[in-house]
Amino acid sequence: MPTVEREVLYVPAGYASAVAASTMAQLDDQSERLIKDLAGITAAELEWQPGPGQNTIGMLLAHNAIVEVLWSQAGVAGEPIDTEPVLGLDAREGDGMPMEPDAAPPAHLAGKPASYYLDLLERARAFAKQKAMALRDDEMEVIRSRTRRDGSVNEFNPRWVLYHMVEHFAGHYGQILLLRHQYRDRARA
Amino acid sequence: MPHLNETKLEVPSGYRSGIPARYVWQLDDQTRRLFEGLEGATAEELSWQPALGTNTIGMLLAHLAVAEAHMAAVGVEGRPDSDVVGLLGITVDDDGLPLPEDGAPPAVLHGKDLAWFRGLVEKARAETVRIAKEVTDADLSRRIVRPPRPDGTQRAFNVEWMLYHLVEHFCGHSGQILMLRHLYRARQPV
Repeated sequence: MPTVEREVLYVPAGYASAVAASTMAQLDDQSERLIKDLAGITAAELEWQPGPGQNTIGMLLAHNAIVEVLWSQAGVAGEPIDTEPVLGLDAREGDGMPMEPDAAPPAHLAGKPASYYLDLLERARAFAKQKAMALRDDEMEVIRSRTRRDGSVNEFNPRWVLYHMVEHFAGHYGQILLLRHQYRDRARA
Repeated sequence: MPHLNETKLEVPSGYRSGIPARYVWQLDDQTRRLFEGLEGATAEELSWQPALGTNTIGMLLAHLAVAEAHMAAVGVEGRPDSDVVGLLGITVDDDGLPLPEDGAPPAVLHGKDLAWFRGLVEKARAETVRIAKEVTDADLSRRIVRPPRPDGTQRAFNVEWMLYHLVEHFCGHSGQILMLRHLYRARQPV
């Protein structure tokens, strides 16, 4: 009898909006896959940098956690951005991104094990769910904004933010897989 | 006065359900961003391989088209099989994925330019739009069980999961393509 791999989206209960609930289910699906793909990763691999100015897996994991909290605050809840109380990492400096062309990874992430990053992601998700649960369908088109560090204003609505949270996570997840591939290849080079 | 950057998700019309319409909008948004990010990429860059066994940008673009053409047919429309060759003019294996550890890129993709790869993605997308327009709210929970694979495993999913998967699959490889561009720019002269 064949082994059946089942892929279904179960929309969780407790959300004011089915769209927000579906987004959280999609993010959970991404996290579940990412955690499986990170099996066996060491602190050395997490902080390995293919070349100066290039992101490490650890930086990308911290970035995904920070961004999830940031968008939950600014985009989903319409609140000021302050990731430090949730993650212990500042939204601007915590992940070391974007890097200068010849920069090394941020010192405060040096030597951190996988459990540190998985905890960050878990806390970010718990926070995102808490904010997403309260989001209503009639708030999806409300225009919200944030001012970027270069002074430009970014306007968005919560519907776009929910989509962006998934596509952002998935894009960096793909890069993490490529970095793992490069790390394995480095010995052959 | 600050520069305004406005981002909104607008649901396209002509769909029987708003949910597949939103997923297609997301795919189109990803495609627009991806090709903006690929502006100026030459045929040489598209076929550049960082190391044997590593995918090229061209392979990933072909894979995006092939995978979308196949998954929309079997995973959304529920057909027993897809017709990737009929739709795209290349086979499901022509993307070269997965490459063996010391594999080189497939010869069929060598020298192809960005417009050629974009044409593949656009042809696949047109078919996805045609299929998605017919999906109803009731279809979203429809369970599809694929025939057993040679390795003994079998996949089962529902239509909404497949729509989500089309998007996240595209996003993951887009992220890799952008990273490959970064690596290409930073490569050491041989």
